[in-house]
Amino acid sequence: MIEILQQIINGMAIGGVYVLIALGLTTVFGILGIAHFAHGSVSMFGGYLTFFLVSAQGLPLAAAIVIALATGFVLGLLIELLAYRPVRNASHINAFIVALGLTMMVEGLNLEFFGHEQVVIPTDFDRVFNLGGVTIPELRLYVILAAALLIAAMTLFVEKTKTGQAIRAVAENRDAAILMGVNVNTIPLVVFAISTMLGVCAGIMVGALFAIAPGIGEGLVIKGFAVLILGGLGSIPGAVIGGLVLGITEALAAGFLSSAYKDVIAFVVMITVLLVRPQGLMGKA
Amino acid sequence: MKLLTMTTALALAGGAALAAEKTLDIGVSDALTGGAAVYGLPQANAVQMAAEEINAAGGITVGDDTYMLNVIAYDDKANPTEASNAVRKLLDRDGVRFILGFCCSGATGAVASFIANEDAVMLVGNAAERSITTREIPNLVRTRPPADYTGAAAGTFVAEKGHKRVAVLGALDVGFYASYVDAFEKELNAAGGEIITREAFGLRDRDMTPQLTKIREQDPDAILVVGYVEPAAFIYRQAVELGIDVPRYGFTSGSEEQFLRVATSEQMEGVWDLRPTELTLLSASENGIAYHANYTEKFGIAPSPSSPYAYDQTYALKDAIEAAGTVEDTAAVAAALRELPVPDEVVMQYLPVDGKMFDVNGQAYTSNGAFQWQSGNWVFVQDLPSDAAAYSAFLSTID
Amino acid sequence: MMTLRPTHALWLAALVGLALLPQIIAVKYYLHLSILALIWVIAAQGQNLIQGYTGYVSIVQAGFIGIGAYSTALMGIHYGLPVWLTILLAPLVTALFAVATGYPSLRVKGHYFAIVTLAFNLVIFIVLMNFTELTEGEAGITGIPRPGGSDGWLDWRDRETYYYFVLILAALMTGLAALIVRSRIGRILVAIRQNEDLVGAIGISAWKYKLFAFVTSAMYAGLAGAVYAHYQSFINPEIFGVAQSLDAILAVIIGGSGTIAGPVIGAFFVVFLPEYLRFADSFRLIIYGLVLVLATIFMPRGIVGVATGLAARIARRGK
Repeated sequence: MIEILQQIINGMAIGGVYVLIALGLTTVFGILGIAHFAHGSVSMFGGYLTFFLVSAQGLPLAAAIVIALATGFVLGLLIELLAYRPVRNASHINAFIVALGLTMMVEGLNLEFFGHEQVVIPTDFDRVFNLGGVTIPELRLYVILAAALLIAAMTLFVEKTKTGQAIRAVAENRDAAILMGVNVNTIPLVVFAISTMLGVCAGIMVGALFAIAPGIGEGLVIKGFAVLILGGLGSIPGAVIGGLVLGITEALAAGFLSSAYKDVIAFVVMITVLLVRPQGLMGKA
Repeated sequence: MKLLTMTTALALAGGAALAAEKTLDIGVSDALTGGAAVYGLPQANAVQMAAEEINAAGGITVGDDTYMLNVIAYDDKANPTEASNAVRKLLDRDGVRFILGFCCSGATGAVASFIANEDAVMLVGNAAERSITTREIPNLVRTRPPADYTGAAAGTFVAEKGHKRVAVLGALDVGFYASYVDAFEKELNAAGGEIITREAFGLRDRDMTPQLTKIREQDPDAILVVGYVEPAAFIYRQAVELGIDVPRYGFTSGSEEQFLRVATSEQMEGVWDLRPTELTLLSASENGIAYHANYTEKFGIAPSPSSPYAYDQTYALKDAIEAAGTVEDTAAVAAALRELPVPDEVVMQYLPVDGKMFDVNGQAYTSNGAFQWQSGNWVFVQDLPSDAAAYSAFLSTID
Repeated sequence: MMTLRPTHALWLAALVGLALLPQIIAVKYYLHLSILALIWVIAAQGQNLIQGYTGYVSIVQAGFIGIGAYSTALMGIHYGLPVWLTILLAPLVTALFAVATGYPSLRVKGHYFAIVTLAFNLVIFIVLMNFTELTEGEAGITGIPRPGGSDGWLDWRDRETYYYFVLILAALMTGLAALIVRSRIGRILVAIRQNEDLVGAIGISAWKYKLFAFVTSAMYAGLAGAVYAHYQSFINPEIFGVAQSLDAILAVIIGGSGTIAGPVIGAFFVVFLPEYLRFADSFRLIIYGLVLVLATIFMPRGIVGVATGLAARIARRGK
């Protein structure tokens, strides 16, 4: 029993990261129909930047996070304007190829600026809590809590604010939204800015709890898309549930089935959902 | 630049009748960029440094001729296709006959698969995959011992510590790590111990808590961690966080700095690293200390512990060419390598088999060491019980 | 439709040029690269069927090349089958895997497809690395034989022989691709790319045609992999990862997506460009990525598109 509980706790940290990545992907997808493949690499850039500000510039962690988020905001705007807007009216395949190209560029820039060696964002949180045999390191706990907080904030934003409602309106029906007076030129900008900031948060969490290294961003974005397929494209609750399901499934698969094939098991789950319920767990039929 | 030296060499060859100073091109195929460059680039540097030293000391003497070495290095990115391309280019375009470097197993395996058909000699460095020297390729030698040679010594060592139930967590999809564990298990079983579980992790995995939780439930006497340093550092940290307090053994060859980036020194305290002794100042010979100083001065950075494998290749090649008395007949040079005593200039501490540096398989053996993390540093504790002759005989039985 | 005669002449010239190539080049190293490029032509023609003509981005071409390479090698080792037979069987094995992945991912809308194929490439890679009993894992399989015995009248050890072998295969597969896209099937594939709903509306079950395109593209990859394995005589999982699948996509985009000549040009581009631009991996990524983005935005029909545009302009001026 303790083992199962421990594995669920183990899976929740990476599951929380998956949720944040998937939230960014799912809002972009819901609004623009773009599979924003560069999201993982951009997120890792945020993590790298935070590492650089803390380690090389000696900034306090909180200040570094604020700067990284601000950079993420601007970066999101630039990506939309320079890369995706020019192909907005072309077929989706073009947008996807642009996304692939963008991924290569960002990965290359990350390599060029930050090198091949893994980096870990230093933090002071190194206590470990023990709850009746289930151990949880302090940092892990904060990552899970921060993820929960961000998920709640994102949900409130989309449900309660005027901009959030406009975003939902565009996602539901683009033409109707235009008729209702929603500005379809600013909405994509807002969506990219927010999703990139969420990605930066995920990148910082990965960088603090684990490490940032070449290829990790690509791995994460693939998991993020797996979450979308699990939860349903464009669905925010789907992203939350899908992310946690994937993270915990991986931990349980590694713990009870096979650690060598844990990623394979995750993808098998994804393909099974695709066959049985193509619209995803939370998607509309 | 290269063209210039070639023309100079040609002019000299044509003009001077005796005691001419000629240029001998030697090639390096290694990972100069990319993730494996931490192994490959220092090897390429080491060859360059050895070549300059040899030239400064008068070059290679063959009959009446003296050859100055010129190194042509290509980046194979540790990728099999790139490595075959790099070596094809060295052979076909640059006319190189002696190829050194080779840090990484995949790329090396690709070249090893065709080198027997070529008029060339291949000297392998840090690549640890065993199968590279099991095929008895006559024109290939390797300075680094295969991983399972070290694994066997490690198994004996851990068994002697009295551990019976050992849990393994390793990069088991990588061939030479898996073979290290196999050899470890054989020695452990012989001493009445067993491996109770083998858990794997991928190159990009950094969250090992699922595997460690499983291991924790099985209550082992000790754990063995085999894999690259970057994920391994997380295993040591997360094991402590999960409250696992059994002895931790490993095969990672990471530096203090690499581990401290991930784990605190307290979390690392007491961890063992069971690996080829390689270059550590704690156990280095005079050659090793000089190598470390010269390399640091020349390249502005300390040499990686495995880089002398390539440095030693260069001196082995020099001695073999001089013994064979030819730079043309590669078969003779390859044969001379197999007969070579350990050169005086080498940095690693080789254990000769029948008095020769390379055995019949073309394999060299170094000593293996047990290192332990003690208050912030790796400390050399003792030599591992390694049996080069027995392993060499075993290697000959594999095809 | 373009006028056919000048293009035929161009094809003939290209073929003659490629046939004479081994006699022209002095440095055998470039022959080696040309063989690799011709193998890429086969893989890229396959990629073009699904990506260029049908409009679905598949990110598993390198994985399928891997399946082809491993199946030809393993059938030879375990069943002692002759090389020519395993080369023929390899695409069929690859096709089985393609049906298994294509079926679930193509039943649903396009966006899933790229992601699922990508996941599948990752799965192939993980299995190749971990299933060491069968694949030898990272160490790879060595000593894969060349076709033909030692006593045949052709010396298969000779790279020139192998070059002509691959050239013939690449020409045949290019011809086959041309036949497919000019057939009714090909017209339906293009219709799917342009408007899939419309195709469904006139009573054609689009997914069957998409599956056909995907499986055929995988068979091209399987053949390319088999030819590669017997040429290099060594394979390991490293070169069958996602990065190489991206190279296949790049080859199609650069050369000219949805054209027959495009993949031929793109394949040579992908193999020879790194040779002339020797740079670190990071720069290669940045430049390739930039080329992909700019090409998609500014020249979506690739080099072939630019060239035909120029030719048309010149022809108009001539009149």
